[in-house]
Amino acid sequence: MSETFKTWQCRTCGYIYDEAMGEPDEGLPAGMRWGDIPADFRCPLCGTAKTDFDMIEI
Amino acid sequence: MIPQDIANTIVDPTAFGGSGKRVEDAFTWLRQEKPLSVAQPDGFDPFWVVTRHADILEVERQNDLFHNGDRATIVTPIELDQKVRMVMGGSPHLVRALVQMDNPDHAAYRRVTYGAFLPQNLKKLEGRIREIARGFIDHMASLGSCCDFATDVAFLYPLHVVMELMGVPESDEPRMLKLTQELFGNADAELSRSGNKPEDAAQALANLQGTVGEFMEYFNAITEDRRANPRDDLASVIANGQVFGAPLGVLEAMSYYIIAATAGHDTTSSTTAGAMWALADNPGEFAKVKANPALIAGLVEESIRWVTPVKHFMRTATSDAVLDGRIIRKGDWLMLSYPSGNRDESVFTDPFRFDIERSPNKHVAFGYGAHICLGQHLGRMEMRILWEELLPRLQSVELNGEPAYMDAAFVCGPKRVPISFRMQ
Repeated sequence: MSETFKTWQCRTCGYIYDEAMGEPDEGLPAGMRWGDIPADFRCPLCGTAKTDFDMIEI
Repeated sequence: MIPQDIANTIVDPTAFGGSGKRVEDAFTWLRQEKPLSVAQPDGFDPFWVVTRHADILEVERQNDLFHNGDRATIVTPIELDQKVRMVMGGSPHLVRALVQMDNPDHAAYRRVTYGAFLPQNLKKLEGRIREIARGFIDHMASLGSCCDFATDVAFLYPLHVVMELMGVPESDEPRMLKLTQELFGNADAELSRSGNKPEDAAQALANLQGTVGEFMEYFNAITEDRRANPRDDLASVIANGQVFGAPLGVLEAMSYYIIAATAGHDTTSSTTAGAMWALADNPGEFAKVKANPALIAGLVEESIRWVTPVKHFMRTATSDAVLDGRIIRKGDWLMLSYPSGNRDESVFTDPFRFDIERSPNKHVAFGYGAHICLGQHLGRMEMRILWEELLPRLQSVELNGEPAYMDAAFVCGPKRVPISFRMQ
């Protein structure tokens, strides 16, 4: 059984990346796992680095 | 150097007023001819004018290299700057809120209220905000077929939401609105505290000090109350918050309240009023979003880009830097022009068209980097809810007179949007 989708939040601005939704405007399709996103990804709202996101439950 | 007439225009509050076209034309010229150059308007120190989207991001993301607080964060004439420094013990700031701070203070003070503005926490307020929105829409319907959407709805709805969040009694909302308009409309004869366009720096400062002083007196009493009787509101979070193991500084706490009680609603009000103006001007977009509520998120985002209520912030270089091939010297002052970035032809196709299906729409209206607007998720949510409730009932809308922006070069939005409408 596939793992459930997770959500990740930017520590600077609160932007939420939801794996189920992806972020099509950033070229990240629905279903894209956080671990598969390139390391140079930056928060689309504020530019914070991928390393400064936390996994959250909502 | 930027030609003197253009330099004078971009700091002239009246150029932002009316239709706003005079300043829009100036920035369009700058983006094409001198996208990153130095202006020295009459009576001002020289500063770089950053007009392109990419350069604004580049400055905003390097918040250690480009400080907020070292010089005035709002473009300020030399004489007024000197007077502020005289009364503030050398500081160029009358208040010290997040926008005047740099690290480590900025991060520490931002953490005090960060949690309250996270989307997952705001979601708990959705039901109450929807109830408030419905109340204002009922009020609009009760006005018949004509209203000033700015003063009758757009100014009041975000004000009520933010004041309730803060814990300010409803009976004090008119006072909060008046003080907000005095603060941001100091150059507008219809809005300033003195009831005229200030004649000199002394009167401009007296107005600002009067407004800030009244805010401080009000929120000082709130602080004492919330320390004695904490409640589930933002005022209690600020009153009882801690930074570096101690309560917030007095000026910093007062400034926190003031920014929440002013920018916390005024920018959303301006964007909401500007959105209705744009929909009345663009019946095709109105028809599209009315037919397809899935476009409301796009309407909100395009409205934010369209109005861009915060017109600029200033930054100061902390060391020599290179920006777009130009050498910026330590101590140089830079104006980040957000409306210009949001009309940048190299980023936005047909930028002067109001397009609710614009995608992507990576505007810089909330800023970027560590100083990005703390209330951005609340503002988006308030606007989404209002349109979700209003559009099903609003059958038609047209302008019913001349809308106008206020005269203001810092925070600026429509001061009147007369419309005629039909509602269910």
